[in-house]
Order: sequence, then C-alpha cells, then structure tokens
Amino acid sequence: MSWSDLGTISPVIVAVLAAAAILLVDLAWPNRRRPAIFTALTGLGAVAVAILIQAGHTGSAFGGSYSLDNLTVFLDMLFVVIAALTILFAVDYLEPRGLPIAEFAAVLVFAVTGAMLVAGSTDLLVLFVALELMVLPGYMLAGFARRDPYSTEGAIKYFLLGSFSSAILLFGLAYVWGMTGTTRVDGVASALATAVAHGSLQPGLAMGLAFMTAGMAFKMAAVPFHYWTPDAYQGSPTPVTAYLSVGPKVGAFAIALRLFVGALGPLKADWLPVVIVLAAATMTLGNLVAITQDNVKRMLAYSSIAHTGYILVGLAAYAGGQQTGLSAILFYGAAYTFMNMGAFAVVTALQRRPGVSSQIGTFAGLGRRDPWLGALMALFLLSLTGIPPLAGFWAKAYVILAAIQAGGWLTALAVLAMINAAAAAFYYLRVVVYMYMREPTEEAVASSPGVLFRVGLAAVGVGTLIFGLFPALVTAAANAANVFHD
Amino acid sequence: MSLPILSLITFTPLVGALVVAVLPSNHPDLIRRTALFFALAAWTMSLGLLGAYAFGQTGFQFNEATDWIPTFGIQYKLGVDGLSVLMVVLTTTLTWISVLASFGPIKDRVKGYMISFLVLEVGMIGVFLALDLFLFYIFWEIVLVPMYLIIGIWGGANRIYATMKFVLYTLVGSLLMLIAILATAYAYQVGHGGSWVGAFDFQQLQRFAASGQFGDAFQNLAFLALFLAFAIKVPMFPFHTWLPDAHTEAPTAGSVILAGVLLKLGAYGLIRFAVPLYPHAAHTFAYPIIALSVVAIVYGAIVSIVQPDLKRLVAYSSVSHMGFVTLGIFVFSATALQGAILQMINHGLITGGLFLLVGVIYERTHDRTIAKMGGVGAAMPIYATVFGFFILASAGLPGLSGFVGEFLVFVGSFGVAPIISVATIIVMVLAATYLLWMFQRVAFGTLSDFLKGLGGHLTDLNRTEMATLLPLAVLIVVLGLFPSLVLDLLRAPAQAFLAAAGVVGG
Repeated sequence: MSWSDLGTISPVIVAVLAAAAILLVDLAWPNRRRPAIFTALTGLGAVAVAILIQAGHTGSAFGGSYSLDNLTVFLDMLFVVIAALTILFAVDYLEPRGLPIAEFAAVLVFAVTGAMLVAGSTDLLVLFVALELMVLPGYMLAGFARRDPYSTEGAIKYFLLGSFSSAILLFGLAYVWGMTGTTRVDGVASALATAVAHGSLQPGLAMGLAFMTAGMAFKMAAVPFHYWTPDAYQGSPTPVTAYLSVGPKVGAFAIALRLFVGALGPLKADWLPVVIVLAAATMTLGNLVAITQDNVKRMLAYSSIAHTGYILVGLAAYAGGQQTGLSAILFYGAAYTFMNMGAFAVVTALQRRPGVSSQIGTFAGLGRRDPWLGALMALFLLSLTGIPPLAGFWAKAYVILAAIQAGGWLTALAVLAMINAAAAAFYYLRVVVYMYMREPTEEAVASSPGVLFRVGLAAVGVGTLIFGLFPALVTAAANAANVFHD
Repeated sequence: MSLPILSLITFTPLVGALVVAVLPSNHPDLIRRTALFFALAAWTMSLGLLGAYAFGQTGFQFNEATDWIPTFGIQYKLGVDGLSVLMVVLTTTLTWISVLASFGPIKDRVKGYMISFLVLEVGMIGVFLALDLFLFYIFWEIVLVPMYLIIGIWGGANRIYATMKFVLYTLVGSLLMLIAILATAYAYQVGHGGSWVGAFDFQQLQRFAASGQFGDAFQNLAFLALFLAFAIKVPMFPFHTWLPDAHTEAPTAGSVILAGVLLKLGAYGLIRFAVPLYPHAAHTFAYPIIALSVVAIVYGAIVSIVQPDLKRLVAYSSVSHMGFVTLGIFVFSATALQGAILQMINHGLITGGLFLLVGVIYERTHDRTIAKMGGVGAAMPIYATVFGFFILASAGLPGLSGFVGEFLVFVGSFGVAPIISVATIIVMVLAATYLLWMFQRVAFGTLSDFLKGLGGHLTDLNRTEMATLLPLAVLIVVLGLFPSLVLDLLRAPAQAFLAAAGVVGG
C-alpha cells in the first residue's frame, strides 16, 4: 500500500468518513435531524468533489485490484446522486413515522461506499467484498420500519435470497479462480482468451459461468431470479424502495460490466444466448405481471424488473459484438435513476402522512388536488413509458439501436423490447388515468412536502427533462465511461 | 440568416401553451382567448408561408438544419414542399376552429384542455415539417400524449377505455416504426463507412434508397414496420377498430382534430417516408394494400349505414373515405396521388365540419342517437341547411371539393385496375345512402318527441358556431370549383413521389 493507492481510492475514503461523521454527529446531538441531514449532504458533496477531481484521470491501486477510470467516475457520480436524492426524499417520510434519520443516512452512505467500490473493483475478491458492503446495508434499510410487519417480511426475504445469491456468485467466482489461477480481472480475461483459443469451454468454467450468471441475475432482479423484488420493494419504506430500485440495480450492472465484460469478455459467445433469454423473459414477465398490479409500489417493482430486461438488451448487444451496448447500459442506468426515483418520490410525498396506502386509488384526482405533483408524476411515468423527448425514450432508443447494430437474434430481441414497451404503456398510463380522469375516492390526502423534498423532486424532474432535450450531454459521458475495448 | 419561419410556426403554439400555463385558472375566458390568439397566430403565419411558397419548384423550401445529437448524426431539420405546406395550413386552420369550437362545450379544467390542444398542434405541425427521421418520430409521439389526455379527461362516458385503446394501438405501431427508423439509419451508416453523418436525414436517405442500396429483404421488413404504424393511424382496415371508439368518446374538437389531422399523419407518412425510402417493398406490397383499401372503402360505407349514433356514423365514414387516400397512394399514378392528397384535405374539412355539427346538436340535446332525432329542420333551419351542405359535400356532390378528390382517384386507378374503379364507384352510391338517410332521419319530418321535450333548448346555430363552420364551408366550395389551386401545388411533390417509387420500375 502506498499513498498513491489511497489517492486513487479517495472518493471511497471520503464516503466512509462521511458515514462515520453522520454517526458521530448523531452521537453529539441525538435525535436532532438537522445536523445529521446537513452532515450527510455535505459529506456526499465532499464525495462528489473527490470524484470530480479524479475525472479524466486513470490509475490503479493495490496491485491492480482497484481501477480508476472513466467508468468508475461515471458510476461513482451516479451513486452519489442516488444517495443524495434518497436522503432528500426520505426526511419527509421518516420523520412523521418516528424513524431515526441519522441512522438511515449513515447506513445509506455505507451502502453507497460499497457500490462505489464495486464500480472500481478489478479483482474478483474485492468485487465480492464490495458487493457485500453494498447489499448488507440494503437489508437493514429494507427492514428500517421495524414495527411494520411488511417491512420486516420484505427485509427477511431480501436478506435470505440476497445471501443465497451472494453465495452462489461466490461459488462461481471460486470456480473461475480455480480454472484460471488468478483473481485479477485482466488476468482472468487473458487466461480465458487463451482457453477459448484452444477450443471448447471447459466444464469447470461452464460451471463457474452458470453460477455467476445466476448470482448476478439475482442481484439485478432478472427473471427467473426476481422473486425477492416485489415483496422487498413493496414492504420497504417508500424512500428505501426508491433507493433499492436504482442503487443496487446500477450496482448489479456495475458487476456485470466489471465481471462479465471485463473478466468474462472472452467467453461472451457462450453467455450471449443466456443473456438474450434472460432479457426476453425479464422484460416480458415483468411487464405482464405489472399490468395486473393495483398497488403502485408493487407495480413499480415489476416495472423495475422489466427495465432490467431492457438494460440486459444492452449487455446482449455487447456480447453480440457492439461496443455501444455498454454505453447504452450506462445511459440507461442514469436515465432510469432520475425517472424511477422521481416516480417513487411522488409516492413518498403522498405517503407523508402515516397510514396512506400506495394503492392506485390514492392517486385518484391527484392532478386536480395537487397539479404540480400530478404533472411531475405524469412526466416520470411518460418517461418510463419511453415517450420522447424524455430521458426514458433516449435510454430505450440507445439500447435498441445497439441491438439492431448487433443484428441477428438481437434484432428480434429489439422488436420484443418495443412490443413490451407498448404493453408497459398500459400500466404507466393507468396511473395517469387515475390522476387526471377520475375523481378522488377518499378524502383528499394532504401532501405539501418540505423544502428538501421539493429540491429533490425538482432535481429529478429537471433531470428527466434535460436528459430528454439534450441527450448528447449524457451520451458523451456514457461513451467516455465505456472503457472496454476489444 | 433568414427568418426561421418553420420553427416559428411550429413553436408558436408551444409559447402559447406556456403562456396559458401561467395564467390564473379562475379566468377561463382569458385562457380561452389566449389559446385562440396563439392558434390564430400560427394560422396567420402558415398562410404567410403558403403565400411565400414558390410554386412549381421541386424540392424542399425554407429549409432549416442544425445538429442536434451529432454522435448519431441526428439533426433538427425542417423543410416544406407543396404537400407539407398544405398539411400545415390544414392543421393550423382546423386547430383554431377547434379551439373556438371548444369555447362553449369545455367548461371544466379549461387550462389543461387548452394546453393540451396547443401542444398537440406543435406535434402535428412538426410531423409535417420534419425532414429528419428521428425528429419526425419525436413529433409523432408528442402528438400522442395530448390526444390521450383530451379524450381521457374531456371525453364521454366510456372515455378511458377509448383513450387507452387509442394509445396502445398507436404505440405498438410507432415503436415498431422506431425500430425501422433506427435500422434504416444503421444500414445507411454501414453503407457510408461507419459514419453517422446524415443517417437520419430524409434527403440523404432517399438518395441512398434511390441508388438501390437498401437490400430487398431489409426493405420488406422496414416497410412493413413503417406501414403498420401509418396504417394504424390512417386507419386502414383491419387496424381501424380504435377509431370509432376514440371518435365517439372524444369531445367535439378532439374528434375534429382526430379526423382532420391525425388520420392525415398516417397518410402523410406513407407518402413522404414509407414509399420513397422503400420503393421496392412498396411495389411488392402494393396489391395487398390496394385490396385492403378497397375493403376499407366498402366496409366503412356498409357499416356506416347501420350505425345508430351520429358520431359513430361519421367515424366509420372516415374509414371509407380514408380508403380512397391509401388507394390513391398505392396505384402509383400522378393523378391518383394528387386526388389522394386532395381527398386528405377534403376529408379534413368536410368530416371536421360534420363533427362540429354533431357537436352542435349534442350540446343542445346531450344525445347523438339518430333514432331520437327528427324534424330538426323545423326547429333549427339554419343548422339543417348547413348540415345538408356538409352532407352533400361528404357524399361527393360535384361542385364541392369531396367530388374532385374521389374522382381523381378513380381516374388515376382506372388505368391500373379498372375493376377497382368500378367497385369504388358503387361505394359512392352507398355513401349517398348512409349520409342522406341519416340526414333525412335527423332533419326532416315533424319534431320528434325527444326533441319536443327539450323545448326552448333547441336554438339555432349561434355566432361562434357559425364562425367555426363558415370557413370550412367556404373552403369546400372554393376547392370544389377551383381544385387547381391545390393541384398546382401538388404537381411537384407527386412527380417526386413517382420518381422515388418508380426506381425499380413497378
């Protein structure tokens, strides 16, 4: 270890310090929310500064087990944004329910630390440890409303299936280590390239590949490994759901990039068919089940499964020979972060008062009751549907373009993705129907969110629009972050 | 740099929507007048465009182009030829008429309504002006959302079903179109050594297509995807089932725009993009499409006869009338194409007028059932006269514009397949049947018991209603007597269309 190693991982260090600072502040001023929120947001700001200082630089630390490149910077930045938004949205929800904000913020920042470490890890073991650091706080957050049985149920399901899938992933990593003799990503890649050059896939590698694929599919909630998602999402406190739907998902795709593209790239001809099937099944099932949901949180959970499917199309396009597939994944991740967090934020605002359900009936007449909230929700839902000129449209167009470029079966996958997108319009627009075309069924739910919440909501709203009107900004960043070259 | 008049026309309604958005909701009259002002401003500018347009020139005029997403060569590129000029003027005309026609009927959430209408106008104008395929697609999708809201919020009893059906049908088509557009651009990119420059530019793509560089198999798939999107919008049989529901449930002005402009978007897409970019595929599929068109013409007319609801009747008659348009496009003759485009305009004016008239009676009776009507002529003589005029125009009475368009399609298609012309002439009789029979049941005879019960509510056309109907009536007469006004504008686009379609020699 040298000082330059520490410099390379400085954003991660700052993040750990920020999380620790939140805990200390909470110790000094217990049960006071302002100092904790201030520390959390300042800390995240410091992390962002540390990341931006590194922008454009490359390097590696700890003997090649951590890599600083544009991909790390892009993903780190996204994770920080996710954490900051989550905190902005959470205050209004946690406070009326008497849930501690400082603990929440600290756990969240720890989770993001793990995610940032995932983004930069180029060693199988570091990757696994980072992954665990990312998901363990996630289990805690899911069960954060201790007295709510649904929250506990969701957390336990999430924990059990999450641990199970981590074990499976680790098993797969062990196989790959055994077959290639190294845990360094580049070492694995070159060993595999040699192995591929010498003929067919060895059984040990095939086993490793299968286990790793299953483990990764669990983490990103791909069908048929998605069963934890609806319950965990629906049971968790809504701001946590907002976080879970984007943070660990982008994290899982970070693993996909570092592991499948970085290390297992030489085997892509072998995992391409699997990813195609996963993508097709994930988006189709996610959408079909989402159509039948009457609870908006659960509906958004299934919709997030469907979006995993669309993102997997980008991965498949990469495996089919198109580099742009990876840029498309990154773009999708960023766009999805904004629009999906926005949608969950609106649900959070409605549920500010404890006891308000996330049933679709809660949205009845929202457009009249609260025109701004209604309009923003409509914006996010239209973006999720993929209506131009909003962020979600470009995300889909980018992925589809990559798939078309790859050709062959990928074209069929692109057609399936578009048919799915049309079907998804049904359930997204159904919420719009409730907001604008039905009268309120129960007494009006007062939302009037606080200042922090408004700032966050404005940020995601503007982000969804700016991404849509000037996608070139993000495509440039996503292309730069695409550090993989054959 | 010259005045970007096309951008001005396109985005004037958007400015209007933003202005309306900041007006206080409790002043509905102010909102209505502001919306009308911006709609009229766009209309005035479009008339200026028509006046400044250089007749007889080939190619596009008033071009504007800037890079938008240079990575993929996507441009903000607008331009007009004779066809798009006419479509833009039709759009702006019908929009202000619709806005004016909504003054009375729309009393609830006026602000949202007017914003939706103005945004809708942005999308519609943009579709007709865009010369970049990606930009075209974006405007195409922008049209969808306001219309979804207009039907869903201000529509009739069954509005939610109707609006969802409308959205889902349209979206399936348009998303497949997106794939086709991306695939087309990619094929172009591959053909140009991996450079995206111009890959979405319609003129570049057409040159590429004209040199026969899109493979036949590729053309077939891409054409089918585009065709499906446009056929759903037109709507062609058998993709028409969303139309009667959407029309019936939409508020009056929504129906006017649906029939007057939205259906034309599909026909425009076929003429502008589907055929010129994939000429080989267009010829391959021409006969099935002609067959579907004839089925639509006959089926629409027959089904119209038995409709019990005024609006549904007019909606099904649209299926029949739009069949002439698709027929005129795919027989690949200059006469038929000019007739088809004229028919697009006529249908916009006449059916727009009919929907307005149905709206007038609905405002007074809150009913559209033909069986309950009768003797309207006695109670509302001016109304009955105007109604009769539009009925005759729709039935294709010589001297009014409806006749000329259909006649040109007959003449143009006769040279290709006489049997089709004969079949469609029979439909003229059917059209006269369902229209005149409906008119007879509504207007003639003694006042029905249902209408008697309404007593004094059955007032004749008021000034606002006259103001919406009169311009349409004047245009119908003028175009009926002097169709050359339009046909001159269309000569160059028709030649360009045939040149593009004729590459592989039919």
